[in-house]
Amino acid sequence: MADSQVAGRSITELKDPLRPRFSWFTDRWIAISFLTPTMALLVFITVFPLVWSLYLSFTDWSVIRDANTAPTWIGTQNYADLLMNRRTWERFVVTGQFVVPSVTIELVLGFGIAMLLNRKFNGRGVIMTMLLIPMMLSPIVVALFWRFMMQGEGVLNYYVVNLFGSDPVLWLTDRWVAPWSLVLVDVWMWTPFMMLISLAGLSAVPKYLYEAAAVDRASGWFRFRHITLPMVAPLLLIAVIFRTMDAYKLFDQALVLTGGGPGRFTQTASLYLYDLAFGQFRTGEASALGYIMLIVIIALANLFIRALNSIKATE
Amino acid sequence: MTAQRQTLIQKIGFWFTLGLVIFFFMFPLYWIFVSSIKTRAEVISRVPTYIPFVQFQPTLDNYSAILVGGARESETGVRTSADLSEFRNRLVNSVIIAGASTALAVSLGTLTAYAISRFRIPAESDLMFFILSTRMLPPVVVLIPIFLLFSNLQLRDSYFGIVMLYTTVNLPFVVWMMKGFFDEIPVEYEEAAMIDGYSRLEAIWKIVIPEAIPAMAATAVFSAIVAWNEFVFVNLLNRTNANTVPPYLNSIIGVGAVEWGRLAAGSVVFVIPIVIFTFLVRNYLLRGVTFGAVRR
Amino acid sequence: MAEVRLKNVTKRFGGAVVAVSELNLDIADGEFLVLLGPSGCGKTTTLRMVAGLERATTGEIFIGERSVNDLEPGDRDIAFVFQFYALYPHLTVWDNISFPLRAQNLSSSEVAQRVQQVAKQLRIEHILKRRPNHLPSGEQQRVALGRAMVRQPQVFLMDEPLTNLDASLRADMRVELKHLQQELGTTMLYVTHDQIEAMSMSHRIAVMHLGVLQQVDTPLDIYNNPRTLFVAKFIGSPPMNTLDCHAEGNRLRGLTGDFEVTLSAEYAHWLRNTPEVVFGIRAEDIRLLDAGAADVDTQGVVTVREPLGDETVYRVDVGEHHLMVKTSPRQVFRAGENVGLAFNHERIHLFDRATGQVV
Repeated sequence: MADSQVAGRSITELKDPLRPRFSWFTDRWIAISFLTPTMALLVFITVFPLVWSLYLSFTDWSVIRDANTAPTWIGTQNYADLLMNRRTWERFVVTGQFVVPSVTIELVLGFGIAMLLNRKFNGRGVIMTMLLIPMMLSPIVVALFWRFMMQGEGVLNYYVVNLFGSDPVLWLTDRWVAPWSLVLVDVWMWTPFMMLISLAGLSAVPKYLYEAAAVDRASGWFRFRHITLPMVAPLLLIAVIFRTMDAYKLFDQALVLTGGGPGRFTQTASLYLYDLAFGQFRTGEASALGYIMLIVIIALANLFIRALNSIKATE
Repeated sequence: MTAQRQTLIQKIGFWFTLGLVIFFFMFPLYWIFVSSIKTRAEVISRVPTYIPFVQFQPTLDNYSAILVGGARESETGVRTSADLSEFRNRLVNSVIIAGASTALAVSLGTLTAYAISRFRIPAESDLMFFILSTRMLPPVVVLIPIFLLFSNLQLRDSYFGIVMLYTTVNLPFVVWMMKGFFDEIPVEYEEAAMIDGYSRLEAIWKIVIPEAIPAMAATAVFSAIVAWNEFVFVNLLNRTNANTVPPYLNSIIGVGAVEWGRLAAGSVVFVIPIVIFTFLVRNYLLRGVTFGAVRR
Repeated sequence: MAEVRLKNVTKRFGGAVVAVSELNLDIADGEFLVLLGPSGCGKTTTLRMVAGLERATTGEIFIGERSVNDLEPGDRDIAFVFQFYALYPHLTVWDNISFPLRAQNLSSSEVAQRVQQVAKQLRIEHILKRRPNHLPSGEQQRVALGRAMVRQPQVFLMDEPLTNLDASLRADMRVELKHLQQELGTTMLYVTHDQIEAMSMSHRIAVMHLGVLQQVDTPLDIYNNPRTLFVAKFIGSPPMNTLDCHAEGNRLRGLTGDFEVTLSAEYAHWLRNTPEVVFGIRAEDIRLLDAGAADVDTQGVVTVREPLGDETVYRVDVGEHHLMVKTSPRQVFRAGENVGLAFNHERIHLFDRATGQVV
């Protein structure tokens, strides 16, 4: 063919504008090389251990006791033991008692604050960044300091006693108060996240819709219900999904704050799992519980995603 | 009521509510900060004090103990001077580990997101759901097998192991966010470049990546926060080497009388890099949040 | 039905940016007035001030007899049609249209009757149960109109409502809107940057530029007697030919020296005071003759010929200047030909080069 080259490509290629510049072949190569490292990591570090864990869940292996022996297969006994045991269900109830109030309060509070911030005023940028700090702290630090403040003679009780004249509150050791203390700390830490997402959604609502409502003399309630809420709802739902998944998984804060106590009144499923695995070293049984937890959250997530899709479908 | 009086009431209400909100979120933070400049006795005193110089004498002892180390062993229950510079070691480790895993997660994740967005990948939505689902795993579930895996592969107590782990943890988020972002960028830019003679790789490097930098910055912030603050895995896996600050902060509380002042100082020092990072990128955060989530 | 009056209205944004400057404008009852100008000229801001969506920095606005400066938009008895329609996305068309009536304590049968009537007028009865998002833009726009009409307001305010429609739809809607306004007889204040809309629909046009009102007149007056250079160049397609000139007596000499035209003697009197002028003449007021013909004002060379069917537009170079000339299609000159240009001296416009005002 022609000898002359332009920019390293033969002149015949350049002459034909319809011929795609990018050959299917090199693109395929690029796609593969872009995807492989990520998928390799994901598969290796998540799928592989999961499969292993699944296997373990059918054994009575203990990482301490049986470190050098092969696991003994016991079939579904672990699952049966767990599911029959009332204690297991109690753990899930405790988890629910934590997740539902936390996420609900975070949603309402975060959205409310976002509505407050959704206007121009001096110092908005600084205030917003300040309000995001709780989210940025290490959960351990947060838990440790709330524990400090919630001590019998800590700051909180100082005001409870001196300002309100009542007895000191047993924030972390009273069986009725302790679960709510957990909720309080989680709300403190994660409301900013809901606020951020809500703010993003609110700022995307076109201003002229509100103006039309003003011309039509719409009430504040109408504006909220028919303009704000429908437009922000999908984004909020996604935030709720993420936050629910995370609250369900919650572990480090609870461990530091109450360790599951008093007794077992704040022992969520995650904490129970930790205890089984690294407290009692019943590895096989712990794996089984882990899988039960996984199935629960996948089912929940599915429900949420379906709700999300049905909302999106009506638009 | 006149219009002016009504807006005044509205204004007062607004600032009052905002004030309450700020108080609720900032009080613990202020408490941590103020604790970091108190002496041991002051910190655990019954009566809380807030204003330095007026209500108590501030001190930088906690900070120097944490950062500088030195021969401070007059107080009981305090770690030896060798341990006092442990914080610095851990801080350096945190920077290395969080930095490396964030960089890795953002670069790999961005490339993957690009590939999924631009090329026809089989079972694309299933693939995306799979990637998302890895985030649904309670870490405790994965804890045991990871522990075993890393033990068998001699990856415990190593930088490499933990960096790989954090990268994997952050990848799903990066991929989801960046894919949504790439979906919004018209393909025409790259096609124009390629018609001009650039190869696809060149087009990506010269055109797509520069466009993507704000979104990458936003995802980097979220990934960095996760890696920076992670506790459970690093506490379990890296007991003797290559460990980060969070387990150290937790261990302070376990040694006899709790060194709240030192804990506070450590926490303040530890959170500052993240705050700075976030403040620098704050404008991208709002945008970064909606990409990938709102796709009409 | 009401008149709208703006007295010395100024709008400043953030202290520095003056969007509207000392605007005085009276709109008669039942009039269709168009605020015309390029983007950034202040026309939308003015409209929004009348609506109450922006507050005037200084000045007063009257609707009917009332000064409305301090009234909320909902209390001014106006209706506003937005550029992007602003239809409530999750309500049906019926709900969208009936919504403004809710504040008025009407019985539900009356509400239904009004909505039906409006729907019939706008031919949207068939979509009353649908949601706005799924409708084509033409129908969405009609719903927006319906929502405005159903209130039976004193004034209609419209912000570039036709901009987002495609061309053929726009042409139809222009006719419909004009018809509608005539039928309803309501005062209408309409903002656009499209001069065709302005010319075809309005009773009067108010041209604005950089926040300043340039001229308010009927369309024909604006076209034939522009009072500022801006108005002259903004209206008309192709735009008016303008050349910077220096006057000596009653001769005008182009600044680059290659254009000369002699005007009739009376001009000398005015030109003595303002010798630096801009010479303006519209494309259709120039005749093209053969190069050697008598009675030509100047000579030139044809460079581009655009045969448009019902007329032909030529670009003629006179020295460094380019003049656009419109002729009937029967005249044919080829590119490169030398031609003579004869100006219709009754239709010459002269503007003071410094102030832009007509001389």
